Amino acid sequence: MCESRIVVRIEISTLSSADGKFNHQKMDRLAMVLSNLNNSGKQLIVVSSGAIALGIDKLKLARQLQSYTDMQAAAAIGQAELIRFYQHYFDQYNQIVAQVLLTGDIMDNPIRVKNTQNTFDELLNMNIIPIVNENDTVSTEDIELDDNYPLALNVAKITRADIILIKMDTNSTFIIQPRDSAMAKLVHDETSLLKEIESSCREIKETGREEFTFPSAIGEISFN
Amino acid sequence: MRKRFKEKRRIVIKVGTSSLSYKNGRMNFQRIAKLAYVLSALRSRNLEIILVSSGAIGVGAGRIGMLDKPRELAKKQALAAIGQAELMRIYQKFFEEYNQIVAQVLLTKDIMTVPARHENAKNTLLKLLSMGIIPIINENDTISTFEIEFGDNDTLSANVATLVSADLLILLSDIDGLYSADPKKQTNAEIIRSVDKITPELEKLATGTSASFSTGGMVTKIAAAKICLDAQIDTLITNGNDPSVIFDILEGKEIGTHFVANNNELIYKN
Repeated sequence: MCESRIVVRIEISTLSSADGKFNHQKMDRLAMVLSNLNNSGKQLIVVSSGAIALGIDKLKLARQLQSYTDMQAAAAIGQAELIRFYQHYFDQYNQIVAQVLLTGDIMDNPIRVKNTQNTFDELLNMNIIPIVNENDTVSTEDIELDDNYPLALNVAKITRADIILIKMDTNSTFIIQPRDSAMAKLVHDETSLLKEIESSCREIKETGREEFTFPSAIGEISFN
Repeated sequence: MRKRFKEKRRIVIKVGTSSLSYKNGRMNFQRIAKLAYVLSALRSRNLEIILVSSGAIGVGAGRIGMLDKPRELAKKQALAAIGQAELMRIYQKFFEEYNQIVAQVLLTKDIMTVPARHENAKNTLLKLLSMGIIPIINENDTISTFEIEFGDNDTLSANVATLVSADLLILLSDIDGLYSADPKKQTNAEIIRSVDKITPELEKLATGTSASFSTGGMVTKIAAAKICLDAQIDTLITNGNDPSVIFDILEGKEIGTHFVANNNELIYKN
């Protein structure tokens, strides 16, 4: 079994139905797949959106919010809800999770990067899956970007991850991006996912290359 | 002087680890349930409530079955990440009993120094209050090591009170108030009911008290009161054994130590 560290990027679409409502079945499936991956010896860090959408649901607000402040308030309510759901479903698979909220400027502060890196290392060594999100209450960067790939990329850099699971749609699509390859791999079922992660991991270990060639933006992913 | 407590509309309440857990470090669910009840009842009276809650590291330690609290910084931060999630789950559970929505807000010290952070935090908190939600605030310990080592939620709660222009800060801990001497050493020690100026003598009094096994102790509570006095916000320090003490405080009963803001009456008397 090849040991590797994987950042898993979860978008709100990963956790919701076509109508935009939170989908518990999907989250349960996700918790199972990830707990299973963790049991197989992989270290996982989840970067998850969904706080704002859950906050809106909880408050029964209209989908089109007016201002950043509305969205920040929704995020404060929804983040509590989101992390509760993560705990609830991972509990079913006896997997402990932790919550880490970061701001977009984390990379500007080397001390903060080091602290955060130590925290992640500590959690991963305890076999805990950190669930990371943007701290929307004190920053609007992630809200403005409306895409959590930059955060996932930062987390991958901080934790020196080997792989980013760029897409994690448990029903159909998985995109695996190894750190030393310009090419991402696209698979369509869980068995292939595990197989491809394993082979990517071996390739990384064999070449022994240290470079990070993760795409700098989601639009720059290319496939074999 | 205590009459003014009946008029308070926007209140920041800080609970320490000692108010949320037993001495053995495990969660005191009964107390948390009571706190949720009291704060939800205050919401029904249309008061605006912000809760500043410690306890994440202790809850995290309990979650993974760690008996002794670690000294190593990275371990504390990891426990905070585990425990904060758990702590919020527990709060959500109890507040839901009273149909009260809560929100989680994790802050770092830079809310007081970085203008954009300051604005964002303030706007979010005021928005949540206007929606009738109780924000539950803690320090974002995972990324800010400084707070775990040197800081405490007493100062954070005073900064939050200033940020939202609160009418009152209530600090609940394991001591009844500020004493004239260390009550554990001198039997004639008495609670000082009212303080209108923080003098060097008073600060010295605080360092002498032995009730300081949590992060803060009396020194940081006095520092918090000082921040609030400067911002003309009343501060009350008392024991959080029974959270319904908050009802009594707001009825104007003589409880704990009151740090009197903007005290015109006293100034005239003197």
